[in-house]
Parts: sequence; structure tokens; C-alpha cells
Amino acid sequence: MTDRTAPLDGVNVLDVSTSLGEYTGRLLGDLGADVIRIDDAGHRSHRWSFMNAGKDIRPWVSGSDQLDALLADAQILITSEGPARLRARGLDPAELGRRHPLLVHVAISPYGLTGPYADRPASDLTLMAAGGLLALAGEPDREPLRAWGEQTSVIAGVHATTAALIALHVAETESRGQIVDLSVQEAVAHSIENAAQYLDLEQVVRRRAGSGPREAGTGLFRCVDGWIYLVGGLGGSPLAWNAIEDWLVEGGVLTATELGAERWQQPDWRRTPEACARFRDLFEGFARSQTKAELFGSGQKRGISIAPVATPADLLNDPQLLARNYFQTVDVDGVPTTLPGAPYRFASSDVGPRATAPIGGGVRR
Amino acid sequence: MSTRLPLDGIRVADFSWVGAGPFLTKPLADHGADVIKIESRTRVDPIRSMAPFRDGVKGLERSGYFANRNSSKRSICLDLKDIRGRELALRLMAVSDVVVNNFSPGTMDRLGLGYDAARAMRPDVVYLEMPMMGTEGPQRDCRGYGLTIAAAGGLLGLTGYAGGPPVGTGTNYPDHVPNPLHGAVAVLAALRKRRRTGQGEYIELAQLESTINAIGPAIVAAAAGEDVGPVGNDDPVAIPHGVYRCAGADRWCAIAVFGDSQWAATRSVLGAVSWADYPELDTVDGRRRSRPLLDRLISVATRDWEACRLAAALAARGIAASPVQHADDLLHGDKQLRARQHWVTLEHPVMGPAVYDSSPYRLSATPGRLRSSAPILGADSRDVCTELLGVSDRTYDQLEEQGVVG
Repeated sequence: MTDRTAPLDGVNVLDVSTSLGEYTGRLLGDLGADVIRIDDAGHRSHRWSFMNAGKDIRPWVSGSDQLDALLADAQILITSEGPARLRARGLDPAELGRRHPLLVHVAISPYGLTGPYADRPASDLTLMAAGGLLALAGEPDREPLRAWGEQTSVIAGVHATTAALIALHVAETESRGQIVDLSVQEAVAHSIENAAQYLDLEQVVRRRAGSGPREAGTGLFRCVDGWIYLVGGLGGSPLAWNAIEDWLVEGGVLTATELGAERWQQPDWRRTPEACARFRDLFEGFARSQTKAELFGSGQKRGISIAPVATPADLLNDPQLLARNYFQTVDVDGVPTTLPGAPYRFASSDVGPRATAPIGGGVRR
Repeated sequence: MSTRLPLDGIRVADFSWVGAGPFLTKPLADHGADVIKIESRTRVDPIRSMAPFRDGVKGLERSGYFANRNSSKRSICLDLKDIRGRELALRLMAVSDVVVNNFSPGTMDRLGLGYDAARAMRPDVVYLEMPMMGTEGPQRDCRGYGLTIAAAGGLLGLTGYAGGPPVGTGTNYPDHVPNPLHGAVAVLAALRKRRRTGQGEYIELAQLESTINAIGPAIVAAAAGEDVGPVGNDDPVAIPHGVYRCAGADRWCAIAVFGDSQWAATRSVLGAVSWADYPELDTVDGRRRSRPLLDRLISVATRDWEACRLAAALAARGIAASPVQHADDLLHGDKQLRARQHWVTLEHPVMGPAVYDSSPYRLSATPGRLRSSAPILGADSRDVCTELLGVSDRTYDQLEEQGVVG
């Protein structure tokens, strides 16, 4: 008989983080932990609903006795401020560790708990700048561009949850708590793809290059209802090149037979501005009368790597996601709220977003 | 402090390749798990052939893109199409706690290495697959890369200058953030349940579904009937909030000002402009109404500042600010990353000393450690086969000669 209990059943989490840390508790809650979220803010934005679904929301506790009572029942504490702020709030990691030696304190902070910038003020935008992701995004002739949606809380959250579960493993197998000191600046720097290695190995400093690689056949192309993203080459030999040529020719772009010429096999040619412009003319001539969904369907059928640039509304109507019952509607703070499903599906465990009862009412499945 | 690593004793049979899978198993390896990469000499991991290369010279053992995501791991080469290679892979599964792959749907089943085969060898195995669209559904066979998933998952379309076309993050973001690390979370959670119940788990991480969580708030908003689109560097609360040009070639400072008293402090740091002449900028609402003027004046004030000095001066007054740092700043300039020893240099037999990311977190009692540089293709084939899988040296030699292992 399969035991379907959630993987983190019986784990109690106290989440006193700022918005920088709130995705961590959300992930732990989806996996079955009971998360008490201390939150005084009155606003209930869409972001708040997503980040706090399933948590038991309570007002800030006053005094260390109340805090200690909550921590006495918790295996994991989540904070997301620098060391001076933590001290001021009575959340100093070393001090809490002395009082609660079995506690895993997931101390997310903008720059880490140590070092000369540990107490620097920070925001999503400035941490994206400090960690190096901002420098890679945007058009070369414009200012660097922020990723949508406060990604630092996602970047911090996925690493912090990984670290929390490693520390929980130690806590449960060796009966010892500890501090997880996570620097969001470092977590962002961990996300810059190969930029550090480009400098180290080839002395090249990668800079922002707009919407993608400058190579004919790859990138964003306009169609009737928006944009599609096509991958026809990433250096080396082009991908599904004959299929792309046939697709365009059969679609009435007779001049696309020129894509059969030998030079299109060469990345050096495909990376020239002329090649990029020529391919764009051919492809957009073909795509301008078709929708994202039509291009995606017919391109994929030919083995071409093409994807729609989906809007959130597109996603809510996406046939693949609907067929898989991806979206979940749960009560968040008493309001039925549609959420993305969990990032993963467990065959033998109940995992996914849980309802949040109105404040003060506890959590229910 | 313990020298024992926190995941000592956990073994991972890692069939994953290219981008997202190896970044899932890296944090496990760097915290002590024995991660054994199963590679092939006939179908070499494409990322071994992706730039950057040591000194710009191509070679399977020279890619920094490959190296950085494969620290602390071992590599064996098996011909999985040969029945003897498959048998060795199954024997490896039998002694592994976790099996990971990111092939397209059905590939592992066709090789005879799917979940049912793994479970027959190891009933409590934690088995994770990461197909792009999912193992089921009308689009299960669609193909793509990291940027395809960013497009299909909504992040690309939302990240752009206000009113402009999509721009995105400039990286294969899904391969570096949501997909590998949601995967690591899932594996660790499943191991925790196994500890308590003895039960294994099959986990499907559809990369599309994982990536959509990175824009979760946009889904909530769209489902509530709101339009959501690109907003550039704007923020719903902070103003000014943007990236401003500073002295030098392509140098910028990111600044986020929350509230009017922070704005007063910002003005006094910036100087240059006679700010008292613009009383309309004194309030949040006024600054929103006069946004073009505000940004123009700030740019006038920042253009003679060095970005680092401006950020430090603003930070000293409590304002969130940072220079926009590129790789050279991160590796050589940033005092904080240096103090925290974020970058680690590991000696590699072909690449020599090369720079790796350490984990962005430290566990105070049981910290992780990058134990070794990325493995040479098949470097550990003999050790793993003879010491772990019970193959005699003589049999190994024969299998190697016939190209089954090596």
C-alpha cells in the first residue's frame, strides 16, 4: 500500500522573511511542511497570493518569549535580512542557534551574513546588478534591463530550499541544527550562465546582446498575434535547416530555396548582419499571416525547434497545460485563486499548492 | 567543524546532460553525494563542445561551460545500446539512491532504463525525469532548448522595455535557475520521505511547468482578468527606480528609492542638478507624473559619477544601489564576493586552473566543498565498474576493448 503523505509531512517552518525570502516557505509548504508566516503588511497583491499560498499567516510576535515558543516547535526558520537588521529584530542567527540548537536557520540575506557589504541596503534591481545578471540583459544601445517579476526571490528561493533540505537531512540524521548563510548576490552570480568562465578562459567579458544570439535562423520573429522563438542554429551545423527551407518554400516563399546554398551551413556566414537580415525577411514573409499556435504546431511537426512567446493569458489556455490539469484553484486568504501547479509531480505523494485559510484560521488541504 | 560532507553516503546515477540536469546534481555533488555521470563516447554531451574553451581552443576537455556545472562528480562511459552496457547501468542503479535524466520522453524506457526497470533493481529508488513539456499531453514530443522554454513559459515575453518587443534575460535562464534547482529540491524532499517511510518516488519535472512558477504572480493576475506585460525597469512602489549611466564606457548604476525621505537623501548625494527648482519631484505622485523629467535629471547627475562610488555613497545613506557588474567586476573587483570566497579555482588536468562557482550558501556546521574539477570523459569507468559494480579487471579489459565501457 502506497503511503501518499507529503514528503515534508511533520516539518514545521517559521517564515519571518521579507519578500526576498517568501518563495522558500512557499516551496516547503507545497511539499507538505506546515509554514507559519509572520506578516503584518495589509496589502494582498497577486504576488503576495502566489508567494504565500498555503501558509498560516499571523501577525508579528512581540518579545522573545513568543518567538521562542514558535521556534520550539519549528525545525526551520526563514529570514531574509542582513545581520544588523536581524539583530535589531531579535533574530541574530548565532543567538537563536544557542537557544535552539536543533534549529535550521535559513538566513537568506542580500549580500550574506559576513563581509564588507553585509548590511548594505538592497532591492531586487540592485541585487540583479550586484550579482551580474543585469549586465547580460537588454539592448546594447539601451540601459541594462531587469527580468520580470522580482526574480531575486525565485533565485534565492530555489537555492535556499535546496540548502534547507540538505540541512534538514543533517538535523534529522545527526540531531544538529545550523545556520544556512545564503547570499542573494552570490545566488545571482551563480545564474550568469558561462560569463565567469568566458572571462577566465578566453578573456572575454560577456555583455548584453538584446533578445538572443545574433545568428540567422535563431531568435525572435514576428507573426500575426505576437512573436515566436526559433532555434535554427547555435554555432556549428544548423539545426533542422532543410526542414526550415522546405517549410518556407511549401508555404509559398519560393525564394527560400536560397537557404539550400552551402554558405548557410557555415556559422561564420549565419552570424553576419546580412545573413540575419536576409533570413528575417524570408521567415517573417512566411510568418506574417500565421499565428503563434499555427507556427508552433506546423514547425514542431517538421522537427523544428520553435516555441510561441507565450503571454500569461496564452498559458492559461495552453492545450498542453490544460490536458495535464496544471493550474490549481485554491483559497488564498479566503479568495479562490488560480495558481500554477507545483514545479514537479510526485507519483506517490501529495504535493502542490495548498489553501490558505483567512488570517488566523490555520491551514487546510 | 566536521570534515564529513552533509550528503555523504547518497549516490546519484546521473544520466543527465547539457544544461539543466547537471546543474541539478552539482549542489548534491558539492555537498558530498557520489554523483556518477553516465556518458557516451559516441554521443558525447554537447555541452563539452560549447564555448568558452581554455585559451579559446576547442576540445572535449576544455569547455568551461561544461566544467562549471560538473564539479565534484565522477564520469563513466557506457554504451547503453549494447546489452552489456545496459546491464552495467542497471547494476549502477541498484547501488544508487537517486537516478536523474533529462532526455526526451520515452528515451530511458527504450533503453530499458526507465523507472520500472530501475525500481526492479532498487525498489526505493528516487527517479527524476525532466522532459520539456511533460511525459504526457498533446505536446509531449516538442523539442527545444533553454530559451525555447523561457519563450513558451512566459518569462521571455514579460521581460522587455515598456511597450517594446520581448528581450529576456540574455541567458538560458530556465536552465540555470528554476529547472535544475526545483529538481534538486524535489530529489532532496523525496529522499526525506524515503528516510521516514522506506518508500521511493517517481518525479516528473516538466521544464515548462517548472519555469512558469518563476512568473507565478503573472498567472494569478491574468487569471483575475488583468493585463500583464513588460514594464522595463519600473517598479510599482519605488521611484526613481532604474539603471542610470555613469562615468566610463558602458558603466551604469542601479538605484531603487523607496519613499520621499529616501528621495531627499538621494538628491543630496547626487548633487549636480539644482533640485530645489523642481518641487514637483518632491512627492512619489509628482515623480510618477514627471517620470521623463525625473529620469533625465538623474542621468545628468549620474554621468560624472563613478558607478561604484555613487553606489557606496547612496548605500551609506540607506538607499539601495549597486553598480551594474559584469564578469570582470565580479571576479576581480567586488570586495564582497572576494571576502566570501565565492569563486573557487580548481586544477584540471587539461584546463589547468579554472574558475568555478561555489554554492551561494554556507552551512555553518556541515559546509559543502567543491571536491574536484570536472571529470575527464570516462575518467572513472574502471574504478566504478571494478569497485562498485563487481566487474573483474579481466572482464573490464574485454569490455573496454569492445567499446562497451571506457
